Amino acid sequence: MKVTLEKDVMENNDRAAEFNRKLFQKTGTLVINIMSSPGAGKTTILEKTVRALSGQYRISVIEGDIATERDADRIRSAGTRAVQIATEGECHLDPRMIAKVLPEIDLDETDILFIENVGNLVCPSEFDLGQTHKVVVLSTPEGNDKIPKYPLMFHVTELALINKTDLIPYVPFDLDQARKDLQAINPESRLMPVSARSGQGFDDWLNWIKEARQACLKP
Amino acid sequence: MHEMGLMEDALQMVSKDAAGHGMKSVEKVSLIVGDLSNVLPDALRFAFDAFRKTGEIPGIGGQARLEIIREPGKARCAVCGKEYEPNEYLALCPDCGMPFGVVISGETFRIESYEGS
Ligand SMILES: Nc1nc2c(ncn2[C@@H]2O[C@H](COP(=O)(O)OP(=O)(O)O)[C@@H](O)[C@H]2O)c(=O)[nH]1
Ligand SMILES: [Mg+2]
Ligand SMILES: [Zn+2]
Repeated sequence: MKVTLEKDVMENNDRAAEFNRKLFQKTGTLVINIMSSPGAGKTTILEKTVRALSGQYRISVIEGDIATERDADRIRSAGTRAVQIATEGECHLDPRMIAKVLPEIDLDETDILFIENVGNLVCPSEFDLGQTHKVVVLSTPEGNDKIPKYPLMFHVTELALINKTDLIPYVPFDLDQARKDLQAINPESRLMPVSARSGQGFDDWLNWIKEARQACLKP
Repeated sequence: MHEMGLMEDALQMVSKDAAGHGMKSVEKVSLIVGDLSNVLPDALRFAFDAFRKTGEIPGIGGQARLEIIREPGKARCAVCGKEYEPNEYLALCPDCGMPFGVVISGETFRIESYEGS
């Protein structure tokens, strides 16, 4: 017997992402999915962001890693609630993993939810988590050629944080070329140089979050 | 390697549907995989083999086969209308050089059919 099924394999993921999105809209929570290769500085940026904004906003963080609770511990030390997802080998977070831990987060009491994705410039770009915005972090030691080399990641994100600008005197990173390459791949995306170490450019990032939060509140 | 999780999803869908048809054993699964769907056929074959061998998904046993039908990537230029095979997501028109061609084929990742008894 032959059965014609014609079923999209991503159907379950799409459904879960839609479920998450509806929930976030209902509670008016701004959800930011942060992606990068390992070591670009996602956790450091989040620690600093949480310290700067937790007086103004109720913040929660979901930490995705292949193993360990370490990043969630770092975020808790910075002063906010964090849930760790250990993917046990999976190279990305998918919307069902998020849906599973949402009961641990009081969304009604959360203005901003940050999701730190698993360190990887490829796979996480393919999964919609139901987030409000996707942000990619690229650090200067990785080189500006990572933008054309990983076009999908820069195609699906709205903001590219160029982190570790404090290292620009020591590593070859061409900001102008990075801007040109990003413009070619995704003219809607914005490039923002920051340093989680020196704090350079960090106000631009904080303002971007505040504006995004404002936009979330509009009916 | 997210193909492992996606293959599990696909085989669970087939397994459930097959049970609904009273089928005990699935012999062949046919997938359509687009060149721009971000799933790698080799990784899918590897994952299929793993599930086939462990037999952990009901109805998908040792004799099951996987067929992958390729769907080529195609984009259409927004300026001159030329259809071409895009190289990743830049989709640069080979005639006029305009980026942002509209992808018209190649993003499919679908279970087309399955056979069994
Ligand atoms: N020089 C410099 N180092 C940084 C900066 N941001 C993060 N780091 C360092 O980069 C390393 C990896 O950071 P981490 O936040 O764990 O990266 P993640 O894997 O993306 O979460 C740590 O040693 C950080 O201290 C920065 O702006 N400048
Ligand atoms: Mg981290
Ligand atoms: Zn053209």
